[in-house]
Amino acid sequence: MNKTARKHDSAVLVDEGYWSSVSQAIQQEAVRLLEQGAVAGVVGYIAGRRTGTAMPVVAATPDEARQLIFSPACVNNLALYFTKAKKEVSSKGKLAIVAKGCDLRALAGLMGESQLKREDVYIIGIACAGVYGAHADRSQPLCDATIARKCRECTVHEPTGADAVAGTLPALQKLEPLEAQELARLEAMTPQERWAFWKEHFSRCIRCLACRQVCPFCFCEQCLCDRNRPQSVETTPRPAGNTAWHIVRAMHLAGRCGGCAECERVCPMDIPLNLLNRKMAKELKELYDYEAGLTPQEKGPLTEYKEDDDESFIK
Amino acid sequence: MHVDKVKHDFEPKIVALVCTWCTYAGADLAGTSRMQYPPNVRVVKFPCTGRIDPVFILRAFQKGADGVLVSGCHPGDCHYMAGNFHARRRFAAFRKLLEFVGVDLSRLQFSWVSAAEGGKWVEMVTELTERVRQLGPLTEFRELELAEQWSGSTLTTPELKEAYQAI
Repeated sequence: MNKTARKHDSAVLVDEGYWSSVSQAIQQEAVRLLEQGAVAGVVGYIAGRRTGTAMPVVAATPDEARQLIFSPACVNNLALYFTKAKKEVSSKGKLAIVAKGCDLRALAGLMGESQLKREDVYIIGIACAGVYGAHADRSQPLCDATIARKCRECTVHEPTGADAVAGTLPALQKLEPLEAQELARLEAMTPQERWAFWKEHFSRCIRCLACRQVCPFCFCEQCLCDRNRPQSVETTPRPAGNTAWHIVRAMHLAGRCGGCAECERVCPMDIPLNLLNRKMAKELKELYDYEAGLTPQEKGPLTEYKEDDDESFIK
Repeated sequence: MHVDKVKHDFEPKIVALVCTWCTYAGADLAGTSRMQYPPNVRVVKFPCTGRIDPVFILRAFQKGADGVLVSGCHPGDCHYMAGNFHARRRFAAFRKLLEFVGVDLSRLQFSWVSAAEGGKWVEMVTELTERVRQLGPLTEFRELELAEQWSGSTLTTPELKEAYQAI
């Protein structure tokens, strides 16, 4: 994944004050909401036990809410906690969520798919400067070498449609768009080269299905890929089933994926899954002029149709 | 009508996923009209093209098909009003995905064949069979099927190699 060749700039991207001011704003808002009884809990992050880590938490009391933080280690997409798959969280009552721009896109997608009602969630949006990547050295501050690939070309630094916004966005440096470059490189390849590329990546897949578990849009009660009789996708980590699984995953996320790249972050085998998602998002934008997750939309591009859709590929 | 049989080195396997209301009836018409077409095609009948999940196409390729034909009613003629419109968008997206993964799209054919178009069915099947015959067998998916397991020899990063060897 091109980790070696590039020289990274280790200059700090945002100064310390930004993170503490965002954390304070989150705490204030969360404490206010809980004291007023407006929400049953706030889904946010607290500091992890090791330095440079953070973990998701549902803060249910003002005291707990005072522990909430925002740091570059707050990588998780908390929209996950509002899906059917996490009923134990969503059944608590009205909740507030601390959401980065990419999480907001997932929330908008969930609302569009009737998984969540706007009035059932209070959104504390974050003017987000970026988070750590999967393999970042977390002893370093957020810099060119440690920032996540998705954050390099983020288009949703400023949250839109949130109930409250925490923090003000510092001046951000323009970073090299690694993902877009990689996508362009793949698109320029011949089909055989692309097949070889994906074959190599998919062959490493161990079918832990972490990509599915962490995705806010994979909330089916029974996954097609878990079914046998008839079996659609082989469940053992063999190359044939792996290829099928990743194609099916990308197909099911086409026109829905908000681009949080959690699948790629949690992948223990470093498969560049977000490339597939980005490619599908790009194609659906071109085909049907649709972008997922910017506003809650009732119908996705693959659940509606127009009579004059392109059919040049059909004889 | 007598057609001389030609012996070929490679006989492609073609899987046709068809809608029961139009293309299946069209293929039936081709049969009852005594039209000749290559015997390489295996027809799988579906209630509607809207029921044809992209997984079925993948599955066909994985299980040894060299070419896949997906065929249904012309737009506006769907028995379920809009099944083929939905299918059209889904397949347009799926084609792009397959292309990105590196599958040769000339092995995958979509068509609209109505119940009255026995001739068009024959034409589609013949054309696809000939095209796939020229392309030769689809080896990519077969290689994946045959590959027994995740292979430690192709690990690329030194850490992974070391971890694998330590097992």
